[in-house]
Amino acid sequence: MVKISVLQHAPSTHLPTRPGDPTPTSRNLDPLQHPFARARERMRALNAAKMERLFAKPFVAALEGHVDAVETMTRKPDSLDMVASGSWDGGLILHDIPRRRKVVHVENAHKGKISGICFADNDRLLSCGVDRNIKLWNINPSEEDMDEDGAGPSTSRSPLKVFPGKTAFNSIDHHRSDSVFATASNIVQVWDETKSAAISNLTFPTSTETITAVRFNLSESSVLASIGSDRTFTLYDIRTGKAERRIVMQMRSNSLAWSPTFPTTILLASEDHNLYTFDIRALRHPTQIYKAHVAAVMACDWSPTGTELVSGSWDRTVRIWRAGAGTQPEVYHTKRMQRVTATLYTADARFVLSGSDDGNVRVWKARAAEKLGVVTARERAAMEYRESLKQRWKMDTEVGKVQRSRHIPKPVYKASQLKRTMLEARRVKDERRRKHTRAGETKPTAERKKVVIAEQT
Amino acid sequence: MDSLIAKADAIRPVTKKRRIQKDSDKKGTSSRPSTSDDRTLGSVSLHTTLPKSLRPTSPPPENVPKYGHIADKKLRTQLTRQSTQSARAKALVRDAELLLAEDAGLMEVEGEMEKTWRVGQEEIAQAAGQEAAHGRQEWKLDGGPYRSRYTRNGRHLAIVGRKGHVATFDWQTGTMHAELQLRETCRDVTFLHDHSHFAVAQQKYVYIYDRDGVELHQLKSHIEPTRLEFLPFHWLLASVGNAGYLKYQDTSTGQLLVEHRTKLGAPSAMTQNAHNAVIHLGHANGTVTLWTPNLPHPAVRLLAHLGPVASVSVDPSTGGRYMATAGQDGLVKVWDCRNWKGAIRTWNARGGGGEVEWSQRGALAVASGGTVNVYTKPSIQVPFAPTVPPPLYLTHAIPHRPLTSLRFCSFHDVLTIGHNAGLSSILVPGSGEPNFDSAETDPFENKRARREREVKSLLDKIQPDMIALNPEFIGSLAPEPKLTTAVTGAHDIPFARLPRLERLRVQGKADETENADADAPAADDDEDNDGAQKKKSTKEEKEKKKMRGKNKALKRFLRKQRKNVIDPRAVAVRAKLEKQRETRRKAKAAAAGEAVERKPSALDRFRRSNK
Repeated sequence: MVKISVLQHAPSTHLPTRPGDPTPTSRNLDPLQHPFARARERMRALNAAKMERLFAKPFVAALEGHVDAVETMTRKPDSLDMVASGSWDGGLILHDIPRRRKVVHVENAHKGKISGICFADNDRLLSCGVDRNIKLWNINPSEEDMDEDGAGPSTSRSPLKVFPGKTAFNSIDHHRSDSVFATASNIVQVWDETKSAAISNLTFPTSTETITAVRFNLSESSVLASIGSDRTFTLYDIRTGKAERRIVMQMRSNSLAWSPTFPTTILLASEDHNLYTFDIRALRHPTQIYKAHVAAVMACDWSPTGTELVSGSWDRTVRIWRAGAGTQPEVYHTKRMQRVTATLYTADARFVLSGSDDGNVRVWKARAAEKLGVVTARERAAMEYRESLKQRWKMDTEVGKVQRSRHIPKPVYKASQLKRTMLEARRVKDERRRKHTRAGETKPTAERKKVVIAEQT
Repeated sequence: MDSLIAKADAIRPVTKKRRIQKDSDKKGTSSRPSTSDDRTLGSVSLHTTLPKSLRPTSPPPENVPKYGHIADKKLRTQLTRQSTQSARAKALVRDAELLLAEDAGLMEVEGEMEKTWRVGQEEIAQAAGQEAAHGRQEWKLDGGPYRSRYTRNGRHLAIVGRKGHVATFDWQTGTMHAELQLRETCRDVTFLHDHSHFAVAQQKYVYIYDRDGVELHQLKSHIEPTRLEFLPFHWLLASVGNAGYLKYQDTSTGQLLVEHRTKLGAPSAMTQNAHNAVIHLGHANGTVTLWTPNLPHPAVRLLAHLGPVASVSVDPSTGGRYMATAGQDGLVKVWDCRNWKGAIRTWNARGGGGEVEWSQRGALAVASGGTVNVYTKPSIQVPFAPTVPPPLYLTHAIPHRPLTSLRFCSFHDVLTIGHNAGLSSILVPGSGEPNFDSAETDPFENKRARREREVKSLLDKIQPDMIALNPEFIGSLAPEPKLTTAVTGAHDIPFARLPRLERLRVQGKADETENADADAPAADDDEDNDGAQKKKSTKEEKEKKKMRGKNKALKRFLRKQRKNVIDPRAVAVRAKLEKQRETRRKAKAAAAGEAVERKPSALDRFRRSNK
């Protein structure tokens, strides 16, 4: 007796039961059923990489209003949309980012440049300037401020309070919870909002430098960090009223920012074209060096997630770094953007702001190829798939090349070439010198160990 | 300050959050004992842990490599995570076999006296289900021997008669798409990426028609084509003509990619290996050649038969590992594509000049004379020296000679035979793959799915330069470069920046004789490991023993010689110098009072040994 069965597919299991139903799918994971799986996946990865570059249009908007260079920017603590900026012309603007509107615009808030601004709480703003004054502003737009056509608030506005100082101020930062703020001039001063004179002066015993920036720690809120013109970075505690320790570096820093997620981590933007993160528990070496800028880094900020950094530089570019990855940042530039003097992440970590010498505040996407607007679940799944493909095939020559290559302006490109040549020459020279001295006399020093000259307590 | 450092990993929540934190704390204490006092972890884990539904249910796989030798922590974690994931995926693939819902067809006998080949088509058709019995069909057509071709999903069939009758249709529903009477010799037909386009090899050129039979393109560069193949993942239409040129045309861009001159006359057989897109050609002088678009010569050339090769086919069930050829000399041979030393199995097909074709599940159909024989898998792929046919699985006689084409329908147990009086489809139980993957090929796909697949496959089109004998080379590590830059392994200067002599030395082209006789006066025991050391010492020695003012002309002459050129004059000079050096050395040794090494002479045997 012969047993015979012939393969047949029941159409009912493979066709939709009713019109409009989704077609049933079947899977067979046998690799023979998927010829060229790897080659096709690579093709998909290549396409994903190309699509990312295709959709990379990071520039969102330019917010006008300042006449001179934007010096400083700060975001409102508990809101997603408000950002204040101060300029060299003494103008102070509170921007509403999503609506691209000015909420408050004070011309001549200070005489000369505004060197620092910070929010005291949700409706008051502190600003300091080189005119030796600190001013406290109410930022709630009052009825009489608004024009009849809603074009923007009028510019006549007087401060709630003025704190007179003795020297020009360089920076200001407010305590996280108390009504206390700190300013930087030739010393660090701590002020109380209710008192008109500084309540304490903080300075490192032997220092005679100008303090350029001061920031409170976000978690341990009595800890204060400052950078000075003498290439120093100093830590203070306002409870003891003393400078705890400081380091002297090879070159001075221009800006500093505390990490929002790791309370002991701080980021410094240095004059030597690099950014450094330090763990304040071990200040001897930086934990990471971020190298790509070809001119002094003027401003830096952490994303609120603590996973990314943004930096703006004298070389007219804004760069976005992944925390812990010291090379190959995303680079943003436009023809009209001049030296970048202030950068900021928005509170939702989706946008980056840059203030530059040309007086504009520019809004960029933090992820250049991100789609703005509503994303459907299918779209999201496709994006995630593309992302993982790119991650998986980044070692492929072609895919990696597409992913890595960026167009940068010719001067920046040339400068980076020149810089590379110089560093290489320096390295070679060092190597040769070592080769011609007695063996073991000098050892190559790690880049990280060259940064700090001295640590003082 | 110190307090910050002391509790460095504590994030104090913002005042607003604090209330929520308290609530959750309270809940936590009520439901479960607090496992950790790490407040940072507590505040973060709420938002960062995977929800339970998304967590893997299977336990973590064992035998995952630990990568303990890698110092970089980040890299190590990443590698461990990757290998865990891949191990888990492998285990899941094993589980996914549950999803294979349908069973393959089969034909089994109970006793030894019964044979499956005695079962005729009527019996099989009766035993088959109603749907499957559709597969048994006879198409009686005029117009010469017919050839046929199925789409990749096995749903549609294109047929072409020698006299110019071309038709495409859905063989299951019997819907005709196009029927053409071209009134000229047509030699082959193939569908392109799906049934919406097909190409016909006609008298002079290849023509492309759309589904309705409207002529879209006349490919004038393909002259007198005899066989056509379409590579679906590369979108390449390959044709071979009477003049012996193999031509690849990109059907997505319309570009003629490349043409290879085979130099072997009109090929008599052509097929593709579906797993690496290599074209196999069978020629009139008995050779089989394997072609890729990237090589101007065949990747493999094989003398398969003593007469012309009649047909070639590649086994899809083993990833293109086996190839079957049939020759006009009446032999059928099965080859192992990894090792071309002789056929695995050879047998005589009665009638000569047969067609061969593998099915998806590895059944081999051989048409010779007036019969079609089907053999099944293990016996045809096991090496077997005698030239006897393997055990027969199924046989079917067709009175209309010649039998010109054999095509298995994918995902069905159907074999279509083209012959002089049309086509016949027979049922071969167990030849078709029962489970299709609808992400790849779906016999039941609708119009929208077909369109989507077309776009997707265009996006995934593989570049033709990726075709190679081993398709797995993509994504694997690049082979080591042949030239090493370091001569002794000491320095790492790139090859291009090395001085010329070093470069020659790396390439093994440098003439080392000069160096060898210049240093190393006595020490000829070459030990590889202390080469560098020896070199160093000899350098110092050389410095010390530098001789000035003697034989300057000869040495200068040698210095001026290019080291890599063997010049008889230079060699003679070198020999002369060597001789001089030797005499000098001897004289020196004699002067120092050392025993001069004497040449052994025949009189030595008379010397006193106790001296």
